[in-house]
Amino acid sequence: MKKKAWFTGMASLVLIMGVLAGCSGNGNSNAGSEASPSANATASSGDPIQLTMWGGVPPESGPQAVVDAWNAEHPDIQVEYVRFVNDDEGNLKLDTAMMTGQDVDLFVNYTISQASKRVEAGLALDLSKFSDYNIDEKMGPDAKSFLIDGKYYGVPTTKSPFFVALNKDALDAAGLEVPKEWTWDELREYAKQLKQDGGYGFIQHTEPYVDPIDSVLAKEGYTKADGTSNLDHPLVKKWLETLNAMMAEDKSTPPLGEQLTSKMPVEQEFLSGKAPMLNIGAWLLRSSNNFTDFPRDFKIAFAPVPRLTDNAADYVTRGGLGDYISINAKSKHQEAAWEFLKWYADGGMAPMAAGGRLPASKDADQDAALESLLGDKADTYDVDSLMYVMFNNPAPTYVRSLPQEVMDARAQEYEKYFLGTQSADDTIAAMVKRHNEYLEQNQ
Amino acid sequence: MTNNWMKKQRLLGYIFIGPSMLGVLLFFLIPALYSFGLMFTNYKFMNPNVEFVGLDNIIRLFKDPMFYLSLKNTAVFLLAVPVSIALGFVVAVVLNQKIYLKKLLRGLYFMPYITSGVAVAFVWMLLFHPTQGPINGMLRSIGIDNPPGWLSTTTSSMFAIDIIWVWFLLGYNMIIYLAALQEVSPELLEAAKIDGAKRGQILRKIIWPLVSPTTFLLLITGLIMTIKTFGIIQAITHGGPGNSTTILSLYVYQNAFRYYDMGYASTLSWALFIVILLITLVQWIGQKRWVHY
Repeated sequence: MKKKAWFTGMASLVLIMGVLAGCSGNGNSNAGSEASPSANATASSGDPIQLTMWGGVPPESGPQAVVDAWNAEHPDIQVEYVRFVNDDEGNLKLDTAMMTGQDVDLFVNYTISQASKRVEAGLALDLSKFSDYNIDEKMGPDAKSFLIDGKYYGVPTTKSPFFVALNKDALDAAGLEVPKEWTWDELREYAKQLKQDGGYGFIQHTEPYVDPIDSVLAKEGYTKADGTSNLDHPLVKKWLETLNAMMAEDKSTPPLGEQLTSKMPVEQEFLSGKAPMLNIGAWLLRSSNNFTDFPRDFKIAFAPVPRLTDNAADYVTRGGLGDYISINAKSKHQEAAWEFLKWYADGGMAPMAAGGRLPASKDADQDAALESLLGDKADTYDVDSLMYVMFNNPAPTYVRSLPQEVMDARAQEYEKYFLGTQSADDTIAAMVKRHNEYLEQNQ
Repeated sequence: MTNNWMKKQRLLGYIFIGPSMLGVLLFFLIPALYSFGLMFTNYKFMNPNVEFVGLDNIIRLFKDPMFYLSLKNTAVFLLAVPVSIALGFVVAVVLNQKIYLKKLLRGLYFMPYITSGVAVAFVWMLLFHPTQGPINGMLRSIGIDNPPGWLSTTTSSMFAIDIIWVWFLLGYNMIIYLAALQEVSPELLEAAKIDGAKRGQILRKIIWPLVSPTTFLLLITGLIMTIKTFGIIQAITHGGPGNSTTILSLYVYQNAFRYYDMGYASTLSWALFIVILLITLVQWIGQKRWVHY
């Protein structure tokens, strides 16, 4: 009896030690692989190099076709695409994967503030070490927005216009032109005229919702000369009041509270013809090309996002470029990743166009990309106005770079205003106060 | 000899709890201590520059209006627990009688508790829709012209969440009460009846005191669970509209995993811990007055 108990005890001890050994063994192997990247690289010369690319676009909307095309051409470098959902959890997953040294060789940043965090953490490779690709020359002047401390830590690969999508049939019926530049007051008039019984004249995706403010402050500066918040700029109040009047007086746009809590599917509303104008970005094309889920019987035209300022010359619009792709600074295959990235930017990404992502590089075959963008649906778009918002709009662009904390604080305050629990002046005062607090904490 | 045997037995005991203690140590105690340390730093996830900042985070906490607001919202959220316990008791008493379709009803009441939170969230969002939702449709049809905006206004959103939470907890509370009601000895009830007690009196003076340990258990676990929850709010409102549904646990989550501000998030989560501790202590002391074992 005693013997038996002793045996069980020993057995469980051994088990525990096994668990412990397992843990430490793991640690060892990690350290080993970190210490000898070069050895690893040479050892694998016979085998193809395995690259992993993390992006937020669902594989079936282009990325899978892209990597399949590359893998077929390059048996020595095989790329695998991993999708992360581009929200808080998804980005956290990507960041944790990189911090803990999992295999991430390339990753897509969707905002410049996320990219800067990754640069700070030493996760994004400084691309100036590669001299065979001139990002400024290839991507044009808009690329400048993606410089972080004067350097490129990634390549902005895609055209990323923001626009107001218009139901051309509804506009024609009302005798309205497709504008090439307009103000929010003009949009308000359009919305009033286009509004039908029980419906709205204008709806907005929540992502570019706050862009009018950013457009003003990207130009005028988020802070004043003395370093305090510039959120009390007169045009901020103008935005609040214009939009509020559209909600409360004209009833031409949905009240924000209703839109948020019902998670209004704006693409669906627009494509089914219920709302004739939609403030959105290039990703609309992913849905508007999908006639199975979004059947539609009207033509879509495109207008630039309206401006708050009266003077067209003062206007900057959001967009320009997007999909800022970086190479993981800890990657063992940086050269191979760079080869892939160049190929991707210079046209390898063409299949992504079906989801609204046109290549930004001047060396990419734009006609092929456009063809893939419009497919057999070209006659359901007003191509002239599409080309205008994609390529020919002369307004300079900016990329949103405000920290998430300030974005959220601002959103919370303007939500209170649009929901009617706070006056415009109090809202602005609260935004300024919270912005200043943030600035103080993070100076 | 026996002493030796005892020693061995004790050692064996430690060996048996060893593996699970290892888990507690690795995944609970060490991280908890670690977060205590983080409280005094400005550590941001991914940012390699970590500095010791002393009490800065704690001072910031006391000056942070969002912290007080989230405390207030948490308090409103906690109201759901006693309401749900009271309802759970009533439902359990009713279902403990001989009524038609009893088993089916028990199952139905318990359903919410085992349903996926996200699905629940979406269903409630549809139900609460201010203009097209069935709840307001019903209210309008019985003559209420201006039904509440539920989740879509800053004043009503927290109460709308409370309703969802009452509904969610109800089934669990009911099941536990049903079990407790089985323990109430029929002799006592019969004796009361013979002495001429009315149904209401039996309920108030006999059944309720007899199940009071269960009520106490439900209150403590319910409050702790509720105070730690944020998933359902994150799924439905993200703390909005405005910041009207940002409860303390959600604020911790936002600071940690949205802003990567681990130092401040640690401070907030220790504040959350202290709040839970205080509530539990108060109940523990208060129980002497109303819990009968």
